[in-house]
Amino acid sequence: MSRAGRGPWVALATVLVALLAFPPQWYPDGLRLTLTRWFGAAEYRALPDSRPPAMDMATTMDPAGAEAVFCPEDIAGRRGAQVIDGVAIDAVAGCVADDPYLIAAAVRGTNNVSADTLNRSGLTADAVEKGRDLDGDGDPDEIHIRLEVAELNGGSPLSRQPVTRYDIAPGIEPGLWVFAPKLVGMAVENFESNIARFSLRLPSPAIRVEQGDSVRITLENTHYLPHTLHLHGADHGFVDVTGEGNDGVPITSEVPVMPGFARTYELTPRQAGTMFYHCHVQPHVHVQMGLQGLFVIEENRPDNWLQTLNVGAGQVRVRSVASREGYDQEYDLHYLDLDKQLGERIRRYNDPRLITRSMHRDYDVTDATQDYFTLNGRSFPYTFRESLLVAGPEERVKLRVVNGGAKGMALHTHGHKFTVTHLDGVPRPAAARSAQDVVWLATAQRVDLDLSMVNDGRQSYGPGIWLFHDHQNSGVTNDGIGPGGNISAIVDPAYLGETGWPRTRGVSLAPYFTEAYYRKEVPVWEAYAPGLFSDPGPDRWLLLRLAIVCLCLGVLAALLTGWLRRR
Amino acid sequence: MEDHSHHHVMDAVGVVMNENTRKLPRGCDSVSEDVAVTIRAGRRYAADVPGAIFGMSKHELAVPPCSRVTVTFVNEDEIRHQWMVHGLPKYLYPAGMFHIEAAGGGERTGTLIVPAEDRTYLIHCDMAQHMEKGMRGQLVVGRGSGDLWAVPGISDAFYRHPYLPRRGYTAVLIAVALVLGFGGALWLRRRRSA
Repeated sequence: MSRAGRGPWVALATVLVALLAFPPQWYPDGLRLTLTRWFGAAEYRALPDSRPPAMDMATTMDPAGAEAVFCPEDIAGRRGAQVIDGVAIDAVAGCVADDPYLIAAAVRGTNNVSADTLNRSGLTADAVEKGRDLDGDGDPDEIHIRLEVAELNGGSPLSRQPVTRYDIAPGIEPGLWVFAPKLVGMAVENFESNIARFSLRLPSPAIRVEQGDSVRITLENTHYLPHTLHLHGADHGFVDVTGEGNDGVPITSEVPVMPGFARTYELTPRQAGTMFYHCHVQPHVHVQMGLQGLFVIEENRPDNWLQTLNVGAGQVRVRSVASREGYDQEYDLHYLDLDKQLGERIRRYNDPRLITRSMHRDYDVTDATQDYFTLNGRSFPYTFRESLLVAGPEERVKLRVVNGGAKGMALHTHGHKFTVTHLDGVPRPAAARSAQDVVWLATAQRVDLDLSMVNDGRQSYGPGIWLFHDHQNSGVTNDGIGPGGNISAIVDPAYLGETGWPRTRGVSLAPYFTEAYYRKEVPVWEAYAPGLFSDPGPDRWLLLRLAIVCLCLGVLAALLTGWLRRR
Repeated sequence: MEDHSHHHVMDAVGVVMNENTRKLPRGCDSVSEDVAVTIRAGRRYAADVPGAIFGMSKHELAVPPCSRVTVTFVNEDEIRHQWMVHGLPKYLYPAGMFHIEAAGGGERTGTLIVPAEDRTYLIHCDMAQHMEKGMRGQLVVGRGSGDLWAVPGISDAFYRHPYLPRRGYTAVLIAVALVLGFGGALWLRRRRSA
């Protein structure tokens, strides 16, 4: 037979092979039913096996080793109660605590502490200056705070890695801008590291001043873009004594502070309350990037030495007189949600012109969605390291809460009902106060909460590890992966280990400390139901059939091309 | 952990860390030369560098091996700036680092003795993003060991944005070039075969 004559037979054979190889599960249903009538159901073929787990959760992290990962050892001795330069600093029951030397310097003033304390605090000598006692009641009333602006997880012309790195959760490093305490020296831990130093972090520090204090805040713009400081809710003049703008709003009050320049804002607040501060330059972007902090005005009391800066917010370790009178503990809770697509823009470019275009013209906040949900600068599981509320039976805890996020949040406590005592820094009338377990916080809203451990079936249902979190679904995830977001817990000391890690009774937390989990690579129940809900492996038999069909199609195409050319 | 072991002089104007006026590095019999230099820092010195915000009056400092270098660092901005050298021998300079920090409007002077080997050291300001946005330089000892990347006025960025015109223009340019190339080649072939 001639070569040309063989062609049709080869084509026919190829079509036959292709038809035989074609997976029967993809035949039209009608054909399948007909075949069933003739031949019966297809024989059993087991579904593919589960893929082996990406990591062996049960064995790679033994319980003892796991706790060291969950809760880094307090080598620097930051957690314990201590007295530094005469400042009595409360203990932190949780695992990671603020630098007590920085706290001492923030209470006494960087101009009033010993050289050793100042040196250990990392602050510059003018970071928090405290002057005269104007009302003669035993505490300083002239307060001068200096803040810088730092970029975390920014870009570099030298590296694809972020620089001045700060992770809110394992492997999650969104681009951020923060107001930072004025810290001497490097922005990183040491010169071989590109991790941000301990006190350089999200959120911008909570600031505490006293009602009637003469407060000056100098914004030293160490960042490469213009910024201002706006004292949201705090009593301040629209202009300062010299007639310069004092509101921080470029379109009404003053030209922004340009990179390399500084500007001093002044206020003598007449009313106490939980307020807020933030940048007001292109605020729809800058506030969301992290340029915001709690601004607390405490009632004027004698001998009221305040912790002017609470770095990273959280537990107030040196409390005001009023707080000590009414409560056993006080915490600053700063909630902030973040848009991944915004933060990554500072890393995509290094040229400030391109960054500006990208953030202020290409980025459209009206199309934005929030991806990360932080409490005091971290998301779960890191919130368990530094944002647990640890309180014993009968204790009464004051919480100052701000929602700095772009969307509202529904703060909910398990095991407790709290009372909203203040709204936006203003006391609520007694008749309006009632216990509740969800409070809605609009963007920029503040509430002061009275959280009681009294086990009466309403204020508390007894000791435990009780979560508190945004009850909106996205708020408990890290970019859609749960558990994450702003989940933290109210923990009774009986449920706390010595290192400060809660003695949880549920599933292993080990997967949540892996970057892979939040990269969406680990099946959610892998750690305690290995294989049961894992990703199935491929159907190799189906793949083989597909390969044969495609091979046949290729042969047919070649035959067709040859036939067309000959014609 | 922050390291408090460095020799460290701090006041309201700034800090000089790991100053060394007399200890000789290995391989140096004596101080070969005294070099005095003033480095000015601030926005002004980035004015002529497109895409930079912060700058230094000198991004490269070339000195002989074993020389004693006295740097007066003048900060003309209203914020802190730093002049740090990295990678120095750790037996003389804890963490291999020499560091001057000057407060806004301040100046500080510090001295170091450079090693005997030809090598290029990184100079930078370690405030967040200051190196990336212009305050990066190099200290060239002897013949140095080759330029570092991304030193303004000296070397290119390792990762450089393409700066191409917006998409439409670039696509038209590429299309025209492709068509011209293809058409030109056809035309040449036809002319040759004719």
